[in-house]
Amino acid sequence: MNVTTPPPVAGVAAAGAVDAAKYYGVGDAQVRALDGVTIAFETGKFTAIMGPSGSGKSTLLHCLAGLDTLTSGATYIGDVYLASLSDRELTELRRTDVGFVFQAFNLIPTLTADENIRLPLMLGGETGDVAWIDHVIGAVGLADRLKHRPSELSGGQQQRVAVARALASKPKIIFADEPTGNLDSTTGTEILTFMAEAVREFGQTIVMVTHDPVAAANANRVVFVGDGKIVGEMADPTPDSILDHMKHYGD
Amino acid sequence: MSSHSTALLARKSIRARLGRTIAIAIAVMAGVSFVVGSFVLADSLRAVFDDLFAELSEDVDLEVRTAQEFDGDSAREPIEVALADELRAVDGVAIVEPALTRYAQLVDSDGDAVSPQGGPTLGVSWAGDDGLQGVTVKEGEPPQGPGELAIDKATAKRESLAVGDTVTYLTDTGSHQGTISALIGLGSGDSFGGAAIVALDVDTALDRFGAGTKADALDIKIADGADVIAVQRAIEDVLPERAEVITGEQLAEEQADEVNSFVDQFGIGLLVFAFITAFVSAFIINNVFQITIGQRLRELALLRAVGASGKQVRRMITVEALILGIIATLLGIGGGVLVARLLVAGFNAAGAGFPSPDTILAVRTIVMAALVGIGITMLSVVVPARRAARIPPVAAMRPEVGFTALRTRRLVIGTVITALGAVLFVVGLFARPGGTFGLIASAGGGGLLLFIGVASVSSTIASPVTRAIGWPVEKAFKTPGALARQNVARAPRRTSSSAAALMIGVALVSAAAVFASSLRATFVDTLENAVTADYIVTDESFQGLSPIVAETLAAVPELQAVTPVRGIAAQVGGDTKAFGAINADAFEKLVNPDLRSGEIAGLGLNEALIGVDPAADLDLAVGDTFDVTYQNGVSGQLTVAGIYGDATFGNWLIGLDTLESVSEAPARDFFIIGKLADDVDAQRGDVAVEAAMEPFPQANVQTNAEFRKSQEAQINQLLIIISMLLFFAIAIAVLGISITLALGVFERTREIGLLRAVGMSRRQTRRSVRWEAVIVSLFGAVVGVVLGTFLGIVLSLAVPDDVISELAFSPIIVVLILIGAVLAGLIAAVYPSLKASNMDVLQAIATE
Ligand SMILES: Nc1ncnc2c1ncn2[C@@H]1O[C@H](COP(=O)(O)OP(=O)(O)O)[C@@H](O)[C@H]1O
Ligand SMILES: [Mg+2]
Repeated sequence: MNVTTPPPVAGVAAAGAVDAAKYYGVGDAQVRALDGVTIAFETGKFTAIMGPSGSGKSTLLHCLAGLDTLTSGATYIGDVYLASLSDRELTELRRTDVGFVFQAFNLIPTLTADENIRLPLMLGGETGDVAWIDHVIGAVGLADRLKHRPSELSGGQQQRVAVARALASKPKIIFADEPTGNLDSTTGTEILTFMAEAVREFGQTIVMVTHDPVAAANANRVVFVGDGKIVGEMADPTPDSILDHMKHYGD
Repeated sequence: MSSHSTALLARKSIRARLGRTIAIAIAVMAGVSFVVGSFVLADSLRAVFDDLFAELSEDVDLEVRTAQEFDGDSAREPIEVALADELRAVDGVAIVEPALTRYAQLVDSDGDAVSPQGGPTLGVSWAGDDGLQGVTVKEGEPPQGPGELAIDKATAKRESLAVGDTVTYLTDTGSHQGTISALIGLGSGDSFGGAAIVALDVDTALDRFGAGTKADALDIKIADGADVIAVQRAIEDVLPERAEVITGEQLAEEQADEVNSFVDQFGIGLLVFAFITAFVSAFIINNVFQITIGQRLRELALLRAVGASGKQVRRMITVEALILGIIATLLGIGGGVLVARLLVAGFNAAGAGFPSPDTILAVRTIVMAALVGIGITMLSVVVPARRAARIPPVAAMRPEVGFTALRTRRLVIGTVITALGAVLFVVGLFARPGGTFGLIASAGGGGLLLFIGVASVSSTIASPVTRAIGWPVEKAFKTPGALARQNVARAPRRTSSSAAALMIGVALVSAAAVFASSLRATFVDTLENAVTADYIVTDESFQGLSPIVAETLAAVPELQAVTPVRGIAAQVGGDTKAFGAINADAFEKLVNPDLRSGEIAGLGLNEALIGVDPAADLDLAVGDTFDVTYQNGVSGQLTVAGIYGDATFGNWLIGLDTLESVSEAPARDFFIIGKLADDVDAQRGDVAVEAAMEPFPQANVQTNAEFRKSQEAQINQLLIIISMLLFFAIAIAVLGISITLALGVFERTREIGLLRAVGMSRRQTRRSVRWEAVIVSLFGAVVGVVLGTFLGIVLSLAVPDDVISELAFSPIIVVLILIGAVLAGLIAAVYPSLKASNMDVLQAIATE
């Protein structure tokens, strides 16, 4: 890979992958978790990734975020190819340019909600944009819970803290892997609504993996993954159109 | 689940958790190695000395000497040489040889003393080829008459002396000249165990050593075919009063025992530290078992869910520990032999001069190793195994239920144990029920309980204290520092358990430090107030100084007062006391013993000065008399001439003339003190004293200030040796912190992964773990310093006032301990911090 070539859609895309492949094992036992994925995520858009279990959604997210490396192909964030970065630069990138929301265990149990939100900034020795952070905290409705530790928060509140943390450093892109997977539907809807607002109001770019067509319907675009490949996509989805598409391509 | 499956599960579990297994094994091994090493070293050294003395008295079948009335430290009275003729007439006696060992010092052609490196300088009588003392001629002929002498070949080589050379030598009677007629050795060796030897024929020895008509003992060889016991009986019939005859074997045993009592004390000293190490290991092992059972909660609950009984779970964990204990003990025994060798090498490097012994691994040693190794492992696992048995099956699905089951009433039990330990410790030291054994049992046992109790209670203060310790860390290292601080504070119980081992090590060091500082303060105080002497001459040969040294010093015109300090053991009211003998007129000018009544100067024959304590005990006042029996059997009466308060020179003092009137044993001075004349400046005095003492290399002349410094240096050295012996325990403690931390890192895999995912660098990860270790070890050190200071104060108070009357506390040592704790934490953190920083970020998401 020639790392001096700027990414294909620099300026338009916040992040993306070019012919990305990730294999596990060798020979007969080889698993192709990613098998030639090329995709770009537009700045300021909310993208949902859907697909059956084991289809490579998490692997794609990890490689895009620089948590995992590819067998071949490339991923980029902004105008930087991840393969060209050292371990230290990758760490720096995760701290400043990327936000994360996992399905569970998003928070450090010893830190308060407030400290968890500011964690990436604190690790970089920065205070960040105080007004922005206050705004985010207000928006997630956690102002009165800031001094609480994760164990004193409900599952939904914990996920909101995680989203707030992802937003706090104004990253180029936020990756969320089934952020509502562990929540009941009402609480899940709250989180999704909030994420959609973040995209709409603050122009945040978000890529989210989900199983739930209702959740995916909050996105501007749905990408379908199957067997490590992109198998389809849809703009401005509704729950019904997604279900329709899944029925159509599912079998 | 059969006991077969128990063993199988136990074996698999050991294999699956190899790192933890190795860590526990190292802790057990270290304790066992040290215990085995102490025994092996003492046993081996003892064998060396037994052999040596058996060889020395090989030719002596019987020995006749004066009897002593009771056991004590006085030199034996000499015996009439004329008795030899009567002995020769006894049936079965072949040879009778008077034996003398006194002071003799070779002087080289420049008039300088010939000094052996560290060894004593001895004069001995030698009957030549017929001699019974194992002396062998290496070159020349045995000395005959006053003009000849023999010296040991090792000294001859070193000083380039040969047969035929004329040399000068000093004895108790002064300076003499003679021609070297022979170079001698002991058995096959060229030296006499490092001593420089001057050998004279018997008559010359009696004369030159100032022994008159009396020798130390009469050595006897019996005729071929005669029976030792029969001859011994026959000799007993002709012996005068206050004389005894013993066999050569008894003699060898006695002599070996004398040396071996040092070896034993040394061995016991080492063992104390060995057991401390084992005790500390037990803490670590217990802690590791405890943590891993928490980590295996789900697995254990699952076993219960599929039908294992609580008892079986307990048995499985116990069997696991047993296998581990046995393997580690076997390895520890091997390690112990190595430790013994290392100790010999270490002490020799420090100048101890141990012979290199054969390794003796006694059955008793192996039994002790098994008791310690398997014992500490099994004891450490009792509580964790019981707790594991209480985990309910539902914990497989709901772990939080299991954790509740693991909880104990630690605080209540801990407080009770702490209180009990403190009471036992104090009572043991002050009330001393049951003598020395009771003292050791209750003070030692109390100390152990105190440590266990404090270790468990300290979890209640762990959170606030570590938060306080961590505050500067957080300020300095921001987020990684804050994480470290909070990780320590969030598991107070684990923090206090991991710190406990270090706490014990630090407590012992600080107790020793308080003790040593107090000892030093008392000593300095005594020297400043009680001793007004300008010079102190001490003996470096362990033989005592010949009176000729004090006589020479007394003749120096620059000095106005000089007194030697001699001693004799005597019984007063049935108890054996150490009596000092002094020149009272000089003593009054040299020492200020806080006289309460009577007078010092003019102390007459059969008069005594006594301390206030015995005066009160025996209800004695100035002018009263009391009965004494000296060790040689002479008894008499002493009149109290004065009563004094400062016991630096002991509680019982008599004049040199009184000592001479009751004992004929060769006089030996422990030390000599002297004072400058009023019109002489210190510099001139120093030159004069140095010059006068030139021929006596074993006499170490020091000014008051130098003496104080050298004694302070000795106290410091003692403290350093104690700290070094605690090194093992402290190393184990560091290992313990390292293991606990590594297990903690393992438990926090997800958390660390998450931190890395949101942008914590590897360096920050390492830093966070590193400071966590430092905070934990500082916590242990702080608790240890507090506890140790308490122990040190109690210990210092328990010691008699003439040894320690003043409490002192050394802030420098505390600072050193805290710096040491930071270093210990940094060392402990090496492995866990690498483990944390090398962790795969993806595990944060992957680990279930
Ligand atoms: N560390 C790994 N080793 C081997 N195979 C893996 C590993 N991680 C993921 N896989 C495989 O890669 C495929 C894609 O996994 P993943 O991306 O987690 O799927 P999804 O998130 O869509 O459920 C699966 O078949 C999974 O078994
Ligand atoms: Mg997944």
